[in-house]
Amino acid sequence: MALFLPWLPTERIIRARGQPEAPFALTEKQRGAVVITAPDRQAVALGLGAGMKLADARARVPDLMAFDHDMLADAQLLDRLAEACERYTPMVAVAPPHALILDITGAAHFYDSEKALARDAEDQLDTVGYSAHWALADTPDAALALAQHGLKEGAEEQLPVSALDMDAKTHQALERAGLYKIGDLSDRPRPNLAARFGMELTLKLDRLLGVEDRPIDPVRSLGNVTTDRRFPEPLTHIDAALSVLEELFVEASVQLEQRGQGARMIRMMLFRCDGDIAKLGVETGAPTRDPALFKRLLRERIDALNDELNPGFGYDLIRLSIVAAETLAVKQLKLEGGEDLEADEVALVSQLSTRMGRGQVQKFQPADSHIPEQGLLALPALDAPPPAPWEIPPSGNPPMRPLHMFDPPQRVQVIAEVPDGPPHRFTWRRKAHQVIRYEGPERIGSEWWQRKHGQQSGKGGLTRDYYRVEDVKGRRYWLFRHGLYGEEKANPDWFLHGLFA
Amino acid sequence: MNNIDSDSVRAIDASPTNPFAVPETAGRKAAALKTRLARILSAPAARAVEADRGPTHFSFGVNRIDAALRGNAMADGLPRAALHEIHAAEKTDGTSAAAMALLLAERCRDDKPILWINESAENRRHGHLFPPGIAELGIDPDSIIYVNAPDSIAVLRAAADGVRSPAIGAVIVDLAGKKPKGLDLTATRRLSLSARQSGVTSLLLRSGSDMEDPLPTAAFSRWQVNAAPSAPLEANAPGHSTFDITLLRHRSGLYGLNARLEWNHDDHAFRERQAGETAPDLGAVPALAADRADHQGARAA
Repeated sequence: MALFLPWLPTERIIRARGQPEAPFALTEKQRGAVVITAPDRQAVALGLGAGMKLADARARVPDLMAFDHDMLADAQLLDRLAEACERYTPMVAVAPPHALILDITGAAHFYDSEKALARDAEDQLDTVGYSAHWALADTPDAALALAQHGLKEGAEEQLPVSALDMDAKTHQALERAGLYKIGDLSDRPRPNLAARFGMELTLKLDRLLGVEDRPIDPVRSLGNVTTDRRFPEPLTHIDAALSVLEELFVEASVQLEQRGQGARMIRMMLFRCDGDIAKLGVETGAPTRDPALFKRLLRERIDALNDELNPGFGYDLIRLSIVAAETLAVKQLKLEGGEDLEADEVALVSQLSTRMGRGQVQKFQPADSHIPEQGLLALPALDAPPPAPWEIPPSGNPPMRPLHMFDPPQRVQVIAEVPDGPPHRFTWRRKAHQVIRYEGPERIGSEWWQRKHGQQSGKGGLTRDYYRVEDVKGRRYWLFRHGLYGEEKANPDWFLHGLFA
Repeated sequence: MNNIDSDSVRAIDASPTNPFAVPETAGRKAAALKTRLARILSAPAARAVEADRGPTHFSFGVNRIDAALRGNAMADGLPRAALHEIHAAEKTDGTSAAAMALLLAERCRDDKPILWINESAENRRHGHLFPPGIAELGIDPDSIIYVNAPDSIAVLRAAADGVRSPAIGAVIVDLAGKKPKGLDLTATRRLSLSARQSGVTSLLLRSGSDMEDPLPTAAFSRWQVNAAPSAPLEANAPGHSTFDITLLRHRSGLYGLNARLEWNHDDHAFRERQAGETAPDLGAVPALAADRADHQGARAA
């Protein structure tokens, strides 16, 4: 099924700021001229069309109002509508700029027929202020073409050749050959058409005529396991909705158990009866089928929401799908009892990640770079790879790397005896520090391979000379001189890169 | 026990004529004995659970301090199932205080992970934790779960969850600033109660606190940490991490214990530096020419 929304951009404006008193159009600047991209119904009735210059249009309709055309907002709106259509089928695809394609095969059992489903979708869109044309067909291309031309099922032959969506030249060539309608093409031998207009045309023709099917690319891929529940009477209490989600998770975990899997990523959608959708996602650090953990994570997720869940007039459909699942072997509990520490750690990490966001709970990994600040990765602890070994410091040495690092490094003013010598005194945060001990330089070269010819100094960073210094009060600092004196830089700057314990 | 004995003696005295007569209070007494017996029987089980947790205290590994910290407890060092505070003496001692918290956590974590929770806004001011530096202190950076919380309330909330989890070895609650929002007697009391129940050591790391007038907390002990001059290595190079620690508060009333400690990452223990060792004459700048010559020589050697 295809839903075509011809007035989507202008209806978005009407919905946002009410019906303007005068005809209006959405405009865009193209090559220095303001061009109308989407006129509203009144403007079209007055003879204006897309592609017309705003100045010309104003000459005809002096009180024409103009708004900037926000393509991004249109795309977002279309995505939102696509999500709203997921109540009919999980297979919803967006067909930019103004259409949706729904695969409703086997999804119409809640309605009398597929037509009834389509009419319901049209009504729903109408109540939120968007007018849609719908068409049913065996293939998405046919449905889309029919909906765009305001035709119904079985009228493919009457479509103009432009419905093939080829380039303008081909359309013109077809019309010159006296072929105006798809019906003119359909019974011609394909090899001749292909020889004259290319393979693409025959392919598109077959798709349009329902001979060849094309899979659609749904907005959201279908989860591994999906459970949902519809309510004849909308649920208006959050707590009731949450307990339904918990029940759905138990149902899903039964299915997962049969497969020997546990959930890693769970997506929940709460469809409000007025078309609004609340989406929730929960991720766990390890595969789980534990309803208690799910319940806890769900509460965390709800608490972390910026704007609270508002059931409004109630939810009439609640769906839970397991988006990612992993093998979860049945665990043998220890005979002598004792706690399962690993599971406890995973539960804690999952809980904190759900509350703060997955990127905020981290584990460290060494990275393959000799540049100090690039030598580590802070990865989300939820799906951290197995631990990689860190370089073990040689015994007997004091720490050669600081415990705290400044990224970016902080600029300091340094007084040194000789320009390429160790620091003697430095000023950091408006305080002077007298150096009484130092070690260095430890020279860390630049990434010369990033230079253009491996030659020019300066590209790929400068050489750094690091010094470990201690001041009078016993604080230890990591300073570096940025650039070799005289060779790379006339007057190299100094930076404080870290603090030792 | 004494009670029962004396009671029964009196019961026998009361009926000297018939020693075999059952006193009328016997039923009540039997019930009391039964409950007492049940209590005695259940007690060893509880003790066994506690013993199961392993050592109840962790130590610095420095005999003088550990013995001094004994107080009225049975073991040396600091109790694990408690909240301890570590304050930086000045803002610039933040790194030393952080290292001290990390090293104490390392000494009590029993191969379980350390949960480090900090406020993400503070990272820019104090620098962020640099894992290679953690490795240089002899601690596996992989044992740290690092949490960036948006504000101090979230830090405390995450800490409360962490302290309750038996999978965690130690929780470091990193709160900078003079008066972090939400850090009060109630919050710290909650943390220390959870710590007592779960046995997870929690360390409250405070940099930038007002040492003249620290916030009241329910911590078991409060330490102040300064950076201290290190024992110079060859060629006057800065040496091992060195700290001056001062005990400001302790549940058993200890006060003013201080020491200069040096961390030895090879044996994972502190070592006390004697006063004689703190050689550097502060403020004096070594003669540069000699120093440089010395340095060259040391490097050549």
